[in-house]
Amino acid sequence: MIEFRNVCAGYGGGDVLQGLDLRVEDKSITCIVGPNGAGKSTVLRTLSGLLSPRVGEILLDGRALHTLSAAQVLAAGVAQVPQQGGLFGGLSIRDNMLLGGYLVRRQRRELNKRIDELAEVFPIVAERALDKAADLSGGQRRIVEFARALVTEPSVILLDEPTLGLDPKTCATVFETTQQVNALGTTVLMVEQNVRFGLQLADHGVVMERGQVLISQPADVLLGRSDMASMFFGAAPTEPAVDVPGGPA
Amino acid sequence: MIAAVVTRAADRVASARKWLIAGGIVFVGCIPLLTSSAYIQNVMILTFLMCVLGLGWNIMSGYTGYISLGHSAFIGIGAYTAGILAERWQVSPFLVAPLGGVAAALVAFLLGLTTRRTRGPAFVIVSFALLELLGLLARNLSSLTGGSQGLAMPLPDWDLTFYNWPFYYSLLALVLLSLWMTRAIRRSKFGLGLVAIRDDEDKAAGIGVLTPVYKSLAFMSSAVLVGVAGAVYGYYVSYLSVSTMFDIVLSMQVVLAVLIGGRGTFWGPVLGAFIVVPLTELTNTTIGGLDAGAFRLLMFGGLLLLVTMLLPRGILPTAGAWLTKLKAGDTGRTGARLVESGLPTVPPSLRDESAAVGGDVLRVEDVVMRFGGVLAIDQASFSVPRGSITALIGPNGAGKTTLFNAIDGTYTPAAGDIVLEGKSLARADRTRRAFRGIGRTYQLPRLFNSLTVLENVAAVNSSFSVRRLAASAVSGEEAARATELLEFVGLGDYLDVKATDMSYGQKKLVELAQVLMLDPAVILLDEPAAGINPTLLRRLADLIRALNESGRTFVIVEHDMQFVLALADRATVLARGQVLMSGAPDVVSRHPKVMEAYLGDDFVLEKTMGGATT
Amino acid sequence: MTLLVQTLILGLLIGGIYALMSSGFTLVFGVMKIINLAHAAMIVLAAFFTWWVWDLTGIDPLLLGVVATPVMYGFGWVLYKTVIARVHRADHELAMVASFAVAIAASGVMSLVWGTELRAATPSYFNTSLEIGSIVVPHAQLYACGGAVALLLGLYVLLRRTFIGRAIKACAENRDSAELVGINVERTMAQMFAIGAATTGFGGAALSVIYQFFPESHFVWIGRILCVVILGGLGSLAGAALGAAVLGVGETITAIYIDTQWATTVPYILIIAILVLRPQGLLGERMRADGAHA
Repeated sequence: MIEFRNVCAGYGGGDVLQGLDLRVEDKSITCIVGPNGAGKSTVLRTLSGLLSPRVGEILLDGRALHTLSAAQVLAAGVAQVPQQGGLFGGLSIRDNMLLGGYLVRRQRRELNKRIDELAEVFPIVAERALDKAADLSGGQRRIVEFARALVTEPSVILLDEPTLGLDPKTCATVFETTQQVNALGTTVLMVEQNVRFGLQLADHGVVMERGQVLISQPADVLLGRSDMASMFFGAAPTEPAVDVPGGPA
Repeated sequence: MIAAVVTRAADRVASARKWLIAGGIVFVGCIPLLTSSAYIQNVMILTFLMCVLGLGWNIMSGYTGYISLGHSAFIGIGAYTAGILAERWQVSPFLVAPLGGVAAALVAFLLGLTTRRTRGPAFVIVSFALLELLGLLARNLSSLTGGSQGLAMPLPDWDLTFYNWPFYYSLLALVLLSLWMTRAIRRSKFGLGLVAIRDDEDKAAGIGVLTPVYKSLAFMSSAVLVGVAGAVYGYYVSYLSVSTMFDIVLSMQVVLAVLIGGRGTFWGPVLGAFIVVPLTELTNTTIGGLDAGAFRLLMFGGLLLLVTMLLPRGILPTAGAWLTKLKAGDTGRTGARLVESGLPTVPPSLRDESAAVGGDVLRVEDVVMRFGGVLAIDQASFSVPRGSITALIGPNGAGKTTLFNAIDGTYTPAAGDIVLEGKSLARADRTRRAFRGIGRTYQLPRLFNSLTVLENVAAVNSSFSVRRLAASAVSGEEAARATELLEFVGLGDYLDVKATDMSYGQKKLVELAQVLMLDPAVILLDEPAAGINPTLLRRLADLIRALNESGRTFVIVEHDMQFVLALADRATVLARGQVLMSGAPDVVSRHPKVMEAYLGDDFVLEKTMGGATT
Repeated sequence: MTLLVQTLILGLLIGGIYALMSSGFTLVFGVMKIINLAHAAMIVLAAFFTWWVWDLTGIDPLLLGVVATPVMYGFGWVLYKTVIARVHRADHELAMVASFAVAIAASGVMSLVWGTELRAATPSYFNTSLEIGSIVVPHAQLYACGGAVALLLGLYVLLRRTFIGRAIKACAENRDSAELVGINVERTMAQMFAIGAATTGFGGAALSVIYQFFPESHFVWIGRILCVVILGGLGSLAGAALGAAVLGVGETITAIYIDTQWATTVPYILIIAILVLRPQGLLGERMRADGAHA
């Protein structure tokens, strides 16, 4: 189980996360939704070690993650699939996969075996091994990004806007792939702009606003709530007229 | 309270500023009368030279943002030009010194040509290469320059008692002239354009800053007085040698001086010169012997290094920031509250009377764009009727922003044509398209961060004229219009706020005001609704509707269908670089082809869900 | 005809050495997008080191280049950690000014330590040649070029085939992603800069044997290096190799067919001409301008 306890974090211009409390159950697919600038991506960044929280704790099965570097978090079993464009475009698919195993680069044989295993699940890894990542289509890149994040066999995988910039067909691929990964026993924590997509995929939904968790409910319940639509299409008349300085991170 | 004392003192200094400056100039002007010490006069003369060099460097590298590491080249050009001409024509070098300035400006113009297609790092290289090349030329063209023998200047024919006076006062005059020029540039629209170029050159080109002309003028003004000063300096030292006239160490010292004083500030170069030169002369007299040169290199290299590491902004900006903080106390930024208001009234100046004419404002005809092997736009055609709001929708990666970039001249299409008001834009560059009436905003607003909100809007030019360059930056007719536009978009209270301090949503409004300042025939909005809160979104919709009702034409790329389809009277759907269809919004949005390609997210998703759950 | 062949051979031999000297510079530019104006000062530093040890011990100067390589690696590491990284974080452009300051200060230090006279290492083979028919191939140039090409190949393999190389490329492309796969970005950047500096070790040794030099020679050498990388397209290793060959041949042709003193102007003329006519370099493709901002 992942637990955020009263986490405050930001980028120098004030806190984006303002005392965030959040629990993510093992082997679940949890999806965070919310307006731009609510701090969704920041949740993932603090968890994966890209950003250190100013205050608060992040625990994975009771073990503190918030004091660790990105490499140590990864070694602890939490891998993040970065937002769109996360592959190293100038490097081959093979090199990208090898870099996914950067932490275990000294056990070269195991690493190669692991990549071969993943190639069976995601055939494109083998088929386009020598092509540069930049030459792949958006959807193909997404799949390789997934595969790359799985090289170290993480117990938790973080997805930052997995459907950003993808056409509907590829979204479906991402949908299937995520379910596939989850079925292998991996906990999935994702951030998604496309609320409907995210909540249909997830079994638990979290709504964030201004750096805090507003609602945490089973995804299907959340999806069925009539107030959801108004919250995300900006039609709510009660919306306070405060504009967040700095805008979305 | 120390803070209070300091603040009060600072206020007093500020109010006495004019008198201080005048007093300083008079004092400096009297020095030769007060002391006949050749040493002191020499230090002052070299300081003046550094002031002129620094003020020149500051125009190119401080305001315009092109860092030059070879600025002393202009001293050499001025000195050699005047020296050679004086010898040929048998006249005083003073007489031909202005020609030294002309020659320097000419070379600066040529230097400017290399910035047409290259930026930052490459320019550092060119500036350095230019200095070295000119040095080598001076060495090799010995019939002209005396080569490594050097070139002796005529002996002065005036009384030795006043020996230094002509050099002293002419260089002092050049310092004052440089200061005056800097002030004029800073206060003009031209200067605003230069800062815009420094902050974001591509954006500047898109709002009517004719960047090649601006840069050429900036480079020439940066060099001309340095060239004249070089001519005077050459005469002063009475002997031109390549190593002193094209001196890389001098180029380094000027960078050091301006960095210490404050890059991009008015007094920074002067302050820096008065620190660096006396220091140089002091060490020259205290450190002697064979190693003196080595010590100087070490000292100035080390000093420059320390400044870049410890005082990168320079004395004046750092002190200024410190004073501001003392005065204001440490208040953080606060979230700006938007005032709710009814439908905005469009000022008469914003009305577009041509709306009654009808026809198409903009036509995109069979445009093809390729990047490497990828076909980004595949023979896209659509038209924008006058007075319409046309929505350009389609999945991510369909080429919508690329198409905007082809329309505004950021990209050159491989084939096809963009036609505005019946005339092809094919031969117009980005700035000229802005003049012709294409205004566009960006997905992520791009503002000039070191300018205020008002300056951001005042920097816009809807046409080019020399008169406009000289126009005052923040007062007069143009500024009044900028103010009016900012009031219209609801930012009348933020005129003097720095653009960086505005919120994301407010930046979008500033960008809209910039576009309106162009008085455009068509306004291209790239995802205006993305990332802004609902209140601001409504405000934006109101603004667009009001502007449209007074005759303005819009093309809007947007993913928020509710927002854009409510506004638009036409929609064009783009998918995989091709136009799928165009028509009325409700017809288009219900069309099965469109549903499948774009709006069908849910449609496709439901199918997958079905497959996955059973 | 013989003269032309002779010229080409000499030009290409020099080009090989230029290529090694420029490789570290272009590597640093490719990753950090800064012009490291201290690069040539490091080459001259390595040349002094080589000459000094050779003068004391008589060990072959080109062999000493192998020793100078790790020494320069260490120098580069320290320079990165103390200066470059700090300034680069604060202000990208100021990092170039800082490297310029380092170059100037370094030439002052070298003058103090080794004096300002012209130096050159003169091993037994410094003025002997291999003669093939009427073609003369100087031994020093041949050995130096051979060593340079071998090291360049080594560098190529290091960057292409090892995890250090992959990590460096990853950092250059996407720092966040690199961090997320477990790469220590700061350490990798320091390694990259140090590797760039290490290439000056043998470069300096070659310089000490083939040319005369003194502390301020680095201005001439930075000019040549800038020319090489501008010709080849900034940041491209293969481009640097091509640029080095073009410059080597160009200089040699000018020296032999026109005049030695004009040969020194060749790099600067090429720099300005290329930046006016074809700023992307000989090999480079036009970059997809801006738009990336959006």
